[in-house]
This record gives sequence, structure tokens and C-alpha cells, in this order.
Amino acid sequence: MPDRLQQAITVLQTRFGSAAPRPAAPPCAVRPSGIAEIDALTGIGGWPVGRLSLLAGPRGCGKRTLAQRSLAAASREGPVAYVDFPSRLDPEFLSRVDARLDHLLVVRPKSLREGMASIRVLARAGVDLIGLDLPRARSVGLDAELPHLLHRIAEADCTLLLIHDAEADDAIRYYASLILSFERSAWVFSRDGDLQGLQVDAAVVKNRLAPPGHRQRWIVAYPLR
Amino acid sequence: MTHGKSRNPVICCVRTPHPSLLAAWRKTPAWRGRPLVLGGLAHERGSVLTVSPEARAQGVNEGMSLNQAQQFAPAAIFQPIDEEATARVRQSFLATLHRFTPDLADAPDPGCAFLRLDRLTLRWPDRAKLLAAITRTIDAAIGTAPALGVASSMFVSELAAKQATPGAPVVVEPDQARAYLARFPIETLPLDDDLREYLELLGVRTIGRLQTISRPAFRRQFGTRALDIYDLGMGTDRRRLQPLRPPVRIEASQPLEPPVDNTQALQFIARALAEQVSASLLSQGLGTRAVRIVLHQESAPVLAVAVRYAYPVTTAAELFDGIRPRLLRASISASLERITLRAGRLEPAYVRQPGLLIRRDGFRESIADAVARLQEEYGALVVQRAEVRPDAAPLPDHRILWKPA
Repeated sequence: MPDRLQQAITVLQTRFGSAAPRPAAPPCAVRPSGIAEIDALTGIGGWPVGRLSLLAGPRGCGKRTLAQRSLAAASREGPVAYVDFPSRLDPEFLSRVDARLDHLLVVRPKSLREGMASIRVLARAGVDLIGLDLPRARSVGLDAELPHLLHRIAEADCTLLLIHDAEADDAIRYYASLILSFERSAWVFSRDGDLQGLQVDAAVVKNRLAPPGHRQRWIVAYPLR
Repeated sequence: MTHGKSRNPVICCVRTPHPSLLAAWRKTPAWRGRPLVLGGLAHERGSVLTVSPEARAQGVNEGMSLNQAQQFAPAAIFQPIDEEATARVRQSFLATLHRFTPDLADAPDPGCAFLRLDRLTLRWPDRAKLLAAITRTIDAAIGTAPALGVASSMFVSELAAKQATPGAPVVVEPDQARAYLARFPIETLPLDDDLREYLELLGVRTIGRLQTISRPAFRRQFGTRALDIYDLGMGTDRRRLQPLRPPVRIEASQPLEPPVDNTQALQFIARALAEQVSASLLSQGLGTRAVRIVLHQESAPVLAVAVRYAYPVTTAAELFDGIRPRLLRASISASLERITLRAGRLEPAYVRQPGLLIRRDGFRESIADAVARLQEEYGALVVQRAEVRPDAAPLPDHRILWKPA
């Protein structure tokens, strides 16, 4: 931003307070996702720290694979946790993508209340990234829990990735700072007809930190690694 | 305890017989006034740990073998040391002194402790009354009046206490310390064998004779390391002792008569005990991160339940918030005869920050503590770790080992 423009903004902020112009996207710390395409797609270089990011899409579109790749990348830097309601975490895949399993805590809650309490406690204790894999059925009570949860993760500078198979509730869509929608666009076959991978189209549906609307194509190669 | 540079410290050495001896006298008052040797029975192999003045008068000393001691004092009573009773006496001795001042230092001799008195002048302007109060209080606590020595250094005060008798303290003023030391033999100083031999060869047999040597001359002859000995002989003690911090134990207990089998009543009593624990914590400016609930059951084993807190809590409401769900979930199988709440992991409570000026409240719980707290709350399997076994059969149940974190 040019100095003269910055000067003019400062003058206006001094005179008119919060009504004055401000940057549309305030600076936000980020945590790399582990996949360069996704980092570029978010517009800020990774997952926003202290905020909720939603990975949405139908089953088999690669969102959980992406979440686990991000978990693996973050586990190499510090402690991470995965709240696994549907029990779909694959530690073998994580070990193949060089995750540090000794840094990974897997929470298997019996109820939403337990899961939310675990996230609050672990975020406060200093876990860097928490993946929240919600059950497919609508989670009753999540609307009321989310504001407290977001307050705590913002305080603790923790990144929260929410993975949801079904259409996300309005409350989740409202509180999320970043929503990535995934869709399986095609299967990738080799010349001799063997299945080689999965082509995923990812779109930024909502972004409070950078302009939304970007799309990115990403190939999940088989075997997963 | 440190020796202040800007002002003259006043140090009091409080000296009592060995705590093992006091414990034995407490247990059997008839042994007072009789020769008593502690360290083991007469026929056992071992050495004498401590002796009563009557046995010492017959030639028995610490460190000699029990057999040898029996030859010196055949009519003496030989007893082993009661470790627990000794620790209790020692604890009581130090705790009593700690009530006078926190400037209390432990001494290598278990019957000895040092107090710094110059910071008590506002409360005790008359030093004689203070010394009398110390004597009286120690006598009431452990059953023996101490000998007190007062001087400007620990070394001189310890010597003074050895010269003093119960009720008649020896006070050495700072300007008289050098003259006071002059009459003691040179062995009074903590000399090593070489230095003692050299000094004897030079004809230095008293501290007074040592004081006639100049410091530079002494350093030239014996080196800089021997200067500490020289300074002690001149009345300057540069030793620093760690201030004693007596362990704080905060607990509240309530016998239940008749035994209680009603959950509501139990909660009511637990809340009252939480109030007591909270009051104790508040009075000492402390917070607790863990409370242990001990439930004594009628004709059933004692049940202990642990409660952890994310940050040090002090108020009864916060304490009870953690205690109540544990009580309700505890597997109590019989009526309760007693309930005890014991506060553990005590920390200063004054650093609590309400979060107005900084984003956090100033406390951070370790991940291990957080996981332990979640597992206590929701069961061990709520937080798990995964381990991959590459050599196992290619079945998820075989290759991946899930275990509680």
C-alpha cells in the first residue's frame, strides 16, 4: 500500500474511528496445509490460525485426505489432535505421509459435548491444529457450542479444521472463516485402464481473509501418499 | 539466608539435642536422665548415631561402634532409631521456628537451625523477650528448651549456641566476635588434615593466634582457597544457606456420624469442606491444581478420587465444580464414615489474570495434564495414540495399535 494512501487512511481512522476505511482482509497468521495447490487456493497461504475452516463435500471427494495431509504437516511442527466421531482416521496413511504419530492425539468422544470439551481443553493446552471430523447426522447442540469453541481456539492460536460429509448447518457456515467445497470431477485412469487417481475440484465458497470464488483442480494419486 | 552487606545481620542459632534423642525421650519419658545410646541394640553391628549427655559423660561418642559403646557404658540403654518419630520431631521444631520468621535456614546438624532476627525488630523490639519466647515455644513444641547463640554470623552463633545452656543464651555483639573467637582452639574451624598439620607446625593452636597473621600472608602461605577458613577465624562467614520452605499441607476432613449413604448429604458436606480448603488456600495466597477426595467406607476399602484443574483454583465454588461430578460418579459401595479433601499441587494464586489486558488468563496447562484431566472426566479411551506396526498382518486391527494417551 502506498505511503500516501496509508497516511490518508490513518487520518480518516483518527477522525472517524471504526467507520473509517480498513483493510478488507486483516492480516492473519497461517499454517501450511501441506499441499501447495490448497495453500494457493486459500489466498493467504494456508489455514488461518485461531479460526474455523470448513472442508465440505460429499463422501469420496478427498476432503478427509486433505485434512490428514494437513494434520501430518502440522504434526511435524508440534502437537496436533484429531476428534474422530466417525472413526475414519487412518494412522497408516498418516505414517506414509511422514506424520509424527507421537505428536498426534486421537479423541474418540461418545457425545458431542465430550468432543467439544476435549477441543477446548486441548486447544488451551497448546495443541497447534485440531481436526474435527463430525458425524454425518446433524449434530444437535453444535450451534450453541460453536461460539465458545471459536473463542477458545482464537485465544489459544489453534487452527480448527472441520470436516463435514453432509450439507453443513447454517451455524457452521456462519462461524467458519474459510469454506472449501470439494467435488469429485473425474477418475484418472492410465492408458492401460488402471485407476490411477481421483480428480478433485476445490472451490472457495467463503473466505473472510481473502477474496473468495477461486477454484483449483487437484489430483489425489493412488495409492494414497 | 544471606548475610546482608548494607546492614549487620543478627543470626540466632537454635540448638537442641538430636531429634532422635528427643523422639526417644518422648516415647519413653523414663529414659530422661539415664545413659541412652541410639543407633542400634548393643549386640548389633553398627555405629552410634547419637547419645544422651549421661552416656557422653561415660565416654560414648557419635560414630563409635555399638560394641565399643557398650564397653564404655555397660549400663546404658541401647535403642535403634525411630525414623518416623525423628522426622516428626524435626518437622515440629522447624515449623515452630518458621512461625517466628520465614528467614529460617536448615543446618547440617539436625538439632540445629538458624534464624535471622534483625528483621524482627518492629515486632520484637526487646531481643531478650524474643529469645525467651523462642525458648518457651520450642520447649512447648518438642519438650526440650533449646540453647541459643546470637551473633552476626552463622559460624559464631553456632559456637555461641554450643556454649549456651537452655534459658541462658550467649549473645556475641558484632564488634566482639573476633575477641570471642580468639580463645577457641584452631580445631574449631573446619580444617582439612593438611591445613591443620601446617598450622600445628607453625605453632598456630588457637584462633587468636591465627588472627595475628595478616590476610595477605595467610593467602601467600596457604592459597586463596584457605582464605574462607581465615575469614571464619576473623568472624566473617560467607556461607549461604538455602532458606527453608516447610511443606504446606492443606486438607479438610469430616467424620460422618452416623455414616452417610445419601448423595445429597454427601454433596452438602463436601461443599462445606471445600469452603474450609478454600479458606486455608486464601489465607496463604495459594491455589490448587489437584484435589484428592478420600472416602472412608463402612466395611469396604477406602476410595480415593482425584480431581484436576486446568489452572490453580482457590474459591470454594471453583473447587466444588470439580469435586461434585467426581463424587456423583464415584463407585461408592457402602455408607461413608469419613470424607477428606486434600489440596495438592499448590501454586501462588496471585498471578491469576482475568483476561482483560491479555488474551489468555496467564495460565497454561501442559498437554499431559490436559489429557489426564480429559481421561479422568470421560474415561481412558477418550484420548488415544496410534501406533503403526509395519511388520504385522495387513489388517487394520493388526497393523494399528490404539492405546490410551
